[in-house]
Amino acid sequence: MKRCLATLAISLLFNAGGHAAGFEARASTPAPALEARNLKGAPQALADYRGKVVLLNFWASWCPPCLREMPSLERLRVNMAGRSLEIVALDSAETAEDVNAYLSRMKLGFTILLDPDGSATRRWKVFALPTSFLLDAEGRVRYVLTGPTEWDEGEALKVIESLLAEIPMPSK
Amino acid sequence: MGAAGNPQGRSGTRGTRVGLLRVVITSSCSAITLRQNGGRSIRVGCMRYLKLLLLGLWGHVCGVQAGLPDFQAYPAQGERLLLWVASERGRSEPEQEAARKLAEQGVEVWSLDLVNAYFLPQLPSSMDRVPLQDLTDWLRSAQASGKRVTVYAVARAAVPVLRAAAQLEPALRDRLCLLLMYPNLYTVAEPLAEPDFLDLGSLSGLRVKVLQPRRSAATPWLPSMLDHLTQLGATVGQSMLENLRESYWARETPTEFEEAESQRMDAMLVNELNTWECK
Repeated sequence: MKRCLATLAISLLFNAGGHAAGFEARASTPAPALEARNLKGAPQALADYRGKVVLLNFWASWCPPCLREMPSLERLRVNMAGRSLEIVALDSAETAEDVNAYLSRMKLGFTILLDPDGSATRRWKVFALPTSFLLDAEGRVRYVLTGPTEWDEGEALKVIESLLAEIPMPSK
Repeated sequence: MGAAGNPQGRSGTRGTRVGLLRVVITSSCSAITLRQNGGRSIRVGCMRYLKLLLLGLWGHVCGVQAGLPDFQAYPAQGERLLLWVASERGRSEPEQEAARKLAEQGVEVWSLDLVNAYFLPQLPSSMDRVPLQDLTDWLRSAQASGKRVTVYAVARAAVPVLRAAAQLEPALRDRLCLLLMYPNLYTVAEPLAEPDFLDLGSLSGLRVKVLQPRRSAATPWLPSMLDHLTQLGATVGQSMLENLRESYWARETPTEFEEAESQRMDAMLVNELNTWECK
């Protein structure tokens, strides 16, 4: 009987956890390398953004929760214009045509990279979409979020602001 | 031809056991008889009967049943038998429709909904609580039919099916073919961490083909999944289902293509059965 109760309690706990979106803090893990091409075919690397906070979002155009959070990512980009934040959306295992078909309906101003063979998805050990990583200015993974969120408000904005606050002010 | 419009529900469940006791309800409410497995009987009062009834229900919830699981049979005269094990989300109407169509084409189908059969919550973790002996006995009874048996398991339902197959005698396992639709075989799958797969037992002699919808977060991980199955001894193959998402037959907002494909799941499965080397 005790085992049954314990099993029920654990099941409820997991069930409840499945609905609670929350950022998982990481102990300043060095980020895996990331080199990918953008929609114009130009190579880009995560190292290019050193000195900035990076929001790296793994997504796909067939994934409804991914598309649901895209408008809030775009609002975040607009609201954060001029600040040291780079938003990078890495499309997982799709072709440029798939991505362009979506972008013809949704205008997004942040960087979009392609991972057509899924190699970056595997290197970053992404098993669900969307999955997002917040990197500090030193290029370390500080937070991970599995699932969608509203990026321009609440906990997401607070976490981003905390990482931006760590960047030293330029001396006058 | 099968009884497509009116599938028979064959019950294989033997009854509820509570520990070592088996509840036998007599004609009177004043007392019931509890019969121990050894045959000795004990009579108990009505209040205790209520307690035991609740205990029995609890036992159902906790999966302490024994015997064959309840399944729906779609009989057919052909030489093939498809054991269709629905995902942790339960059996959907398009799946039932596909089973009816398969029976009309001569493929007998035994459709098993594990969460319904064992009163489990619709969660992946529920699949780890399925009584393996029941499932192993079910596989054995299917093979005893003399037909060529293929198991088709969806999502996390692949776990108890593979574990039950591992419990079969090698000679029986050699004759079994498994089609796994986007199987979820992970213990842990967390960002930035190496995936950890479940230990499923020895699968030597077993032939497994993974059906993977292209539009799935699991697609980049398919090679690792196949490697894991190979290491356990299975002979593996794969078939990529283009332009489809996981559970495409039960999506809230399906694409036109997904809707069309869910109407022809029977054809997809017949094609897999015909083209696969596992015959």
